[in-house]
Amino acid sequence: MSDSNPPRPYADPYIAGVALGLVLLAAFVVVGRGLGASGAFASVAASTVDAVSSTSARSNGFFADHLDGGGPLRDWLVVELLGVFVGAWASAKLAGRLRATVERGPRTSVSGRLLAAGAGGAVMGVGAVLARGCTSGQALTGGALLSVGSWLFIAAAFAAAYVVAILRRGAWS
Amino acid sequence: MTSLHRALAAVALLLAVSAAFVGSSRRTTSGGVDVASLAAQIEHEDDHVTAVELAQWIKDRKPGLRVLDIRADSEFEAFHIPSAERVPLTDIAKMSPRGDETLVLYSEGGAHAAQGWVLLRSLGFTKVYFLRGGLLDWMDDIMSPTLPELSGSAAADSARTAHATLSRYFGGVPRVGEAVSLPAPTSAAQAVARTRRRGC
Amino acid sequence: MTAPFSEFGMLGPRGVLVAGFVIGVAFGACLERAGLGSARKLMGQFNLKDLAVFKVMFSAIVTAMLGLFWLSKLGVLDISRVYLPETFLIPQLVGGAIFGIGFALAGLCPGTSCVAAATGRGDGLAAMIGMLAGVLAMGAALPTFQRFFTSTARGGFTIPSALGVSEGVVVLGIVAIAVAGFAIAPRIERHAARARE
Repeated sequence: MSDSNPPRPYADPYIAGVALGLVLLAAFVVVGRGLGASGAFASVAASTVDAVSSTSARSNGFFADHLDGGGPLRDWLVVELLGVFVGAWASAKLAGRLRATVERGPRTSVSGRLLAAGAGGAVMGVGAVLARGCTSGQALTGGALLSVGSWLFIAAAFAAAYVVAILRRGAWS
Repeated sequence: MTSLHRALAAVALLLAVSAAFVGSSRRTTSGGVDVASLAAQIEHEDDHVTAVELAQWIKDRKPGLRVLDIRADSEFEAFHIPSAERVPLTDIAKMSPRGDETLVLYSEGGAHAAQGWVLLRSLGFTKVYFLRGGLLDWMDDIMSPTLPELSGSAAADSARTAHATLSRYFGGVPRVGEAVSLPAPTSAAQAVARTRRRGC
Repeated sequence: MTAPFSEFGMLGPRGVLVAGFVIGVAFGACLERAGLGSARKLMGQFNLKDLAVFKVMFSAIVTAMLGLFWLSKLGVLDISRVYLPETFLIPQLVGGAIFGIGFALAGLCPGTSCVAAATGRGDGLAAMIGMLAGVLAMGAALPTFQRFFTSTARGGFTIPSALGVSEGVVVLGIVAIAVAGFAIAPRIERHAARARE
């Protein structure tokens, strides 16, 4: 999976940001909704629970909500996230940035990093359920739509992240 | 690269300042009617629900559902659809859209409710429907529906049983009679709605 | 008015899904191009040495926000038919804070963890697995927190109506703050680079 060509530098963040904004706008214009990510995880979680015990899944309002569409592959967010995979892979391939690796700070072990990533992911999962979204769905989408709850999410998420990052300073340096 | 950045910032600020002058992004002010959009919806039959569909929504406790009865007080007190609120048309005209609500209007026969639909749509409401056939349909389809005999076909029989269960849920009394065609759900709308998974 | 296309009959259910995939491809490419598939780069936001997250996010929000305003004003987009996420004041504040904690721990968010995983990063995959577990656990536990989960609901609640000002004024405010942030960002980054750890 790793590339032998030297990796090209990343794009200018403002250009990438404007491009991302246009993609978000395209979503609004074409399908009347914005982007998202955590919702796809919710769909997969719901289908997983359904596969194990259909009654448990259906009696839980949160899971049941994600079960009516005919499976995860008919869920817009899941299909969109599959696209994200493909797009990210293609972009990295073209730029020579594919690398089988575990990104970590110089003083962090691979297992330590994987643990932190997994734990962080789990905590984000909890937060995303409560907040009805994540940085893609609430911050980007809700932000562009001027939703009060979304901007509260942005403020709270970044404030908390800064606190934790300061407490863990040195993890990446 | 920074000259490009400056250009982008300038464009953004220009568009933003103009936006502040313009104020609102809506084309039509409260009460204005986008006739083409409404006409399309009416033609596509996206504007109404059948009594059976409404009954199912109420039974399923569809989130955000509000059932609005636009008849007179006395009529409301005599009988109203369970979970309905009484909102006369003049009050309807003063409503403003609130989030993810789904409104269903009904009247005696459906005509007034259809007019209320136009009012709400022109006020900017999106998920608004009226009960086609009004309370008369509710009586006919839910409170005392005439169900066909068991036919032996699995699909038809399970639909018939579901209809009977739905009727009894609301305290109705189904009767068995000659074969009556049950109202067909608006399948096109349902198919599209199913792929519109809401959420982030 | 011709948009959203899906609401004006131009796209059937399958078209909507295909559009989702294509949009996702573009989304993933933009994130990867910006380097946000790299946890190390993302964490630069928090030691202030590399504010790429702020630059990308706010450029995107500003672009989409201006696009929404003007396409609506020009009568091209019927903005009332675009899905507006509902506001739940306390759950979104609390959920946001919890999310932020996880974000700083993982160095990736749900979308960027997929980008990371797709480009070979093991930590991206670990974050995705953790996310699934977290969502599953919280979803299963939700009935216990049902009252909290649905508290302080405000429906579709936008800043213009909260502050009692016009949309255009809010748009200007956000753009002004973003551009000001972009202007001082290099100074912050330089300062952070020079400061001792």
